[in-house]
Amino acid sequence: MRIGWVSLQDFRSYREVHWRPDPSLSILVGPNAAGKTNLLEGVAYLALLRSFRRAPDGVLVHRDAATGIVRGEVRRTDRSALIEIEIPRQGRKQVLLNGKRPARHSELSGALRVVTFLPDDLDLIKRGPGERRSYLDEVAYQVWPGAAAEQAQFERTLRQRNAFLKRGADDPVTWAVWDERLADSGARLVARRHQVVTALSGFLTDAYRDIAGKGRVEFVYRAMWTDRPEAGVEDLRADLHRALEASRRTDAERRITTVGPHRDDPNLLVDGRDARYEASQGEQRSLVLALRLAAHRVIREITGEEPVLLLDDVFSELDVDRAVALQAALPPSQTVVTTTALEHVPLEGAIFEVRGGEVVPR
Amino acid sequence: MSFEGPLQRLVDELARLPGVGRKSAQRIAFHLLSVDETDARRLAQAIIDLRDRVGYCRRCFNVTSSDECAICRDPRRDPAVVCVVERPQDVVVMERTHEFHGRYHVLGGALSPISGIGPNQLRIPELRRRVAEEDIEELIVATNPTVEGDATAMYISREFKPLGVRVTRLASGLPVGGDLDYADEITLGRALAGRVEI
Ligand SMILES: [Zn+2]
Repeated sequence: MRIGWVSLQDFRSYREVHWRPDPSLSILVGPNAAGKTNLLEGVAYLALLRSFRRAPDGVLVHRDAATGIVRGEVRRTDRSALIEIEIPRQGRKQVLLNGKRPARHSELSGALRVVTFLPDDLDLIKRGPGERRSYLDEVAYQVWPGAAAEQAQFERTLRQRNAFLKRGADDPVTWAVWDERLADSGARLVARRHQVVTALSGFLTDAYRDIAGKGRVEFVYRAMWTDRPEAGVEDLRADLHRALEASRRTDAERRITTVGPHRDDPNLLVDGRDARYEASQGEQRSLVLALRLAAHRVIREITGEEPVLLLDDVFSELDVDRAVALQAALPPSQTVVTTTALEHVPLEGAIFEVRGGEVVPR
Repeated sequence: MSFEGPLQRLVDELARLPGVGRKSAQRIAFHLLSVDETDARRLAQAIIDLRDRVGYCRRCFNVTSSDECAICRDPRRDPAVVCVVERPQDVVVMERTHEFHGRYHVLGGALSPISGIGPNQLRIPELRRRVAEEDIEELIVATNPTVEGDATAMYISREFKPLGVRVTRLASGLPVGGDLDYADEITLGRALAGRVEI
């Protein structure tokens, strides 16, 4: 799988740009704020249907326009696909696949897959569990066509239950209904997350050793409401339902859902130690790279396709040893790298200069 | 850009309609100015008639121009089976299958605390009254397969099963996240035949 071309219109800092990345490796070079990350964000948008910086859609639209457009061609050995997304400053985006509106979300899943390495990836380890939950959900999203709908369903149900609590939670039958719906969608979501954890387990240690030389990494999924996150959907549903019922009084007082998958704590251990509090800076840096490499390997293993790699100014942050190790560990996928200076990048590829809203091959 | 008097007024009114943008509103307004006068008047009259003559069926809340809708008045329809839908448009979709021979109950939406919609904002009290007064044996819940539609189906099941009514849901096969509108007649007919107890 590779990107044939991508074009951005009124997206971030770009009025209009059309870019053909190299089939194997492209290096985007330019000063800070020249638009390198914006271009990468546009490419990733084709796969994730949202900003990889988690920016809301509205801010992606150029300040002088009402609508931004991202288009791109994805090539496979036997076929190619055209993805077109119209992003209004307000309201819902429109997505076309090969000129047609997909009947369901899952048709879009896997049209393009990407793995991103971003400068603030350290947050995955240093910050709270929300970052790690998102990481698991993102991998699931790119691997299983059903995952996007499951995630959206859980989010929506949680918002509805919280709104019900905010409005005073007056009707017991309605309350029972939202508990049931949340237990159902939450159980599916967590079963999926655990599926990712299991799939990652082997790859994560391998990838970590590729970068750090030695060590063992575990991903442990912890939830307050169940002691068996590895159980099937049925058991998880029963556990979550029980926990929601047990927390009714607290939830009513605080007017918010205090227990559930949105509070779960997926935890990373390096040689049995908590990566967030007990690992060294160096171990944390290696672990971040390992998480991204492992995501790539899992996606490739399950889907049989090489996701596109997007590395945003990653090498300048690394010491020489890790930079060399990462270079060696990178799979032979189509890759796009951004940098402010070519000497930071220990890779050979087609060089493109980004400046003044244009992308020019050197 | 702004036009004078009545023309601009029409453009403004049209632009307030769902799915009509500024440009389309202008195009429609100029079109109406250029067509035969009788065509334009017929459109105006249709809008007036809609508001004057169309109301809701007092039994099922389907749209009708009389007290009771044609389906409720039809003696061949089975009063023991009632299909519960969100909107009057869903009745039309279901009718196109020619597979359903009972009556309807239009809720007027689905449970959504985010929008302040609870059971009493829907026509659920009216459904309760119907179940008490009519000989209803089965409620087929055909709310949309969305978070809100599913919750509404479950609410109806919990409310009405204890009253001795059989409550069923259309079997899956409808597009996920799609409205009943998008379901074609074949899918819907199959869903109707394979409905499951909830
Ligand atoms: Zn009626």
